[in-house]
Amino acid sequence: MNRLLSASALALVFMAASARAETINVLVEGGGEMLQKAVAEKFTAETGIEVKFTVVPYQGVFDKFSAEIASGSSAFDVVTIDVVWNAKFAKHVEDLSALFTDAVRADLPPALLADAKVGDKLIGMPTWANAEIVFYRKDLFDKPEEKEAFQAKYGSPLAPPKTWQQWRDIAKFFTRDTDSDGKVDFWGTDTIGTFSEEWMAHVLQAGSPGVILDKDGKVIIDNEAHKKALEFYIAPHCTDHSVPENVNEIGWGEAQNLFYQGKTAMMKFWAHAYKMTPEDSKVSGNVGVAPMLAGDAGIAAIPGPWYNVVPSTSQHKEAAKKFIAFAIANNALGIEAPLGLAATNSAYSSYASKPGYEHFTPLLETLGAPATQGRPINEKYQEIVDEAVLPAVQQALTCKADVGEVLTEAKETIEDILD
Amino acid sequence: MHRVSRPSVSGILINAAALVLVLSYALPYIYLLMTSIKPAADVQQIPPSFFPAVISFENFREVLQSSTLPKAFINSLTVAMLTTALSLMVAVPAAYVATQYRRRITTFFLLFALVTRMVPSVSLGVPLFQLLKSIGLLDTIPGLVLAHTSAAVPLALLLMSAFFEGVPKELEEAARMDGCTRFQAFRKIILPIITGGIAVTALFTFITSWNEFLYALLLTSESTKTAPIVIAEYNSVYGLAWGAMTAAAVLYSLPVIIVTLALQKQIVGGLTFGAVKG
Repeated sequence: MNRLLSASALALVFMAASARAETINVLVEGGGEMLQKAVAEKFTAETGIEVKFTVVPYQGVFDKFSAEIASGSSAFDVVTIDVVWNAKFAKHVEDLSALFTDAVRADLPPALLADAKVGDKLIGMPTWANAEIVFYRKDLFDKPEEKEAFQAKYGSPLAPPKTWQQWRDIAKFFTRDTDSDGKVDFWGTDTIGTFSEEWMAHVLQAGSPGVILDKDGKVIIDNEAHKKALEFYIAPHCTDHSVPENVNEIGWGEAQNLFYQGKTAMMKFWAHAYKMTPEDSKVSGNVGVAPMLAGDAGIAAIPGPWYNVVPSTSQHKEAAKKFIAFAIANNALGIEAPLGLAATNSAYSSYASKPGYEHFTPLLETLGAPATQGRPINEKYQEIVDEAVLPAVQQALTCKADVGEVLTEAKETIEDILD
Repeated sequence: MHRVSRPSVSGILINAAALVLVLSYALPYIYLLMTSIKPAADVQQIPPSFFPAVISFENFREVLQSSTLPKAFINSLTVAMLTTALSLMVAVPAAYVATQYRRRITTFFLLFALVTRMVPSVSLGVPLFQLLKSIGLLDTIPGLVLAHTSAAVPLALLLMSAFFEGVPKELEEAARMDGCTRFQAFRKIILPIITGGIAVTALFTFITSWNEFLYALLLTSESTKTAPIVIAEYNSVYGLAWGAMTAAAVLYSLPVIIVTLALQKQIVGGLTFGAVKG
């Protein structure tokens, strides 16, 4: 009898120990934890596997994961990484191809699926994705006197812009001196000079087969589409003067703030910002959204997805893969989080008709557009951007350089980096 | 009749230069402070305003309601205090021996301490990660204290050596003639006259650990992470929460300011120690 009791007690201890062992550790950036918290709770409730998040700053994900790889061991079973790191970490993570069932593939925008593939492996499962769409001031666009004046000047109705030309016309139209002091104090839009992704979106709209590199890795930054896109990108600043002059000081944050402070009529911005418009902002309640602009190749954007990957050194690979499969199947659970983002078409569609989620329809249209595609999957991507692409955009924004020469120079720099 | 002396031109120039110098150090902090008390909508105003139009404490409320920051503050405080204590325990006697009993090996020892300061901490991150993991101290407070101590001891050693250089060797000899052992002479005679130096070293060691970012990022996870990591999290991929970040930074700077003020007398004494030798 005593033996039986001892054996039972021992079994209980083992069960408890093994139950404790079923914990997966997830390394993630701050916003990402919020987006995955609800799904993690449901996963634990259904499987008994605990999910423990380690939240670090954006760059910390890269640094910490790199350190773990270098040490040859990992405390993490899942790491949520930015798409720009996919190429860098591909050799150190599991192949998740088996999790990409037909149903999963059919539910993902093609660009997200393409970005998950490095070599012949699908290295990560999209967790959430974002893209730039058009934001505009509904109150201004709906004003009868503005509509009338625009119609009289441009011969077309004032409506959310769809094409490059409409974007430029509307931006010029709204740029004005509102207090009659001789200085422009309200602009049609902004031009971002500290990031290059917005220009890259125009490159795809112009019909380039890829951004910076083609699918074989050949540098195509000097092709006709890149040139056309750069000419369009600098035009509001250099030709139309419909943006604040300090373009090389304008980044995402500044562009967003100009819009929130009621100083610009439109902006191209990441879709999540729609839900996060501050209540005390001058434009609160008056923000309208539309899909990203279309060029010769139609609508296109550069997606900003994050991927769940399983480090090769994880001690709980099966549990980690189970979590990732569960997370994509329950992708809509993250939408209630402050950033309110998902990755699958079905997750976005399930909320698209709800009040407060008006941005999901244009976001879906943009993410799913045939010309939309990701940035080059290349280990040296960041170096290419920092050393060649951004300097080229900034040089073009001086309005003194020849766009063709700037891009030829950038091509040479990129070829040097890749060599 | 009392005659009011007119300030000299050189006096005015020196004061003006001092003011410019002080402002160059203080302005970023004052701007940080001003930003922390601006309402959310004004924080990133374009063009930026230096002073807030309306004073608001909403950023501080947000930060104090955060679930992670208070715990991270406690972790930072614990780690910085333990690092300071451990570093002083190692560096003070070591520096004394190295300066008072000078041999070729002690000179090499001090030189080596200087060399370790030249190694970029990023190159030590991975070895430290492996070391702490192998001894089971990864993601623990003692582990981070050891890592910070490894970075702080060379600094403490160099600072304390400079202070001990100003202590005449005859003091220990006199104490020993009066019957003290070496250790008693060190504890009862030398240490009391070097308190200013210890205060300065303690402060610098404390600040080194208090503000350290890289080791804290690599060697800790959720339960043991320190405040610099949590403050950096306000800079997310989808935006920078300036208001909350500056409020957290202001709160985080307070302990250092308080410690500096509390040790002001000793610090000034320490900094001028040995400056006037009879």
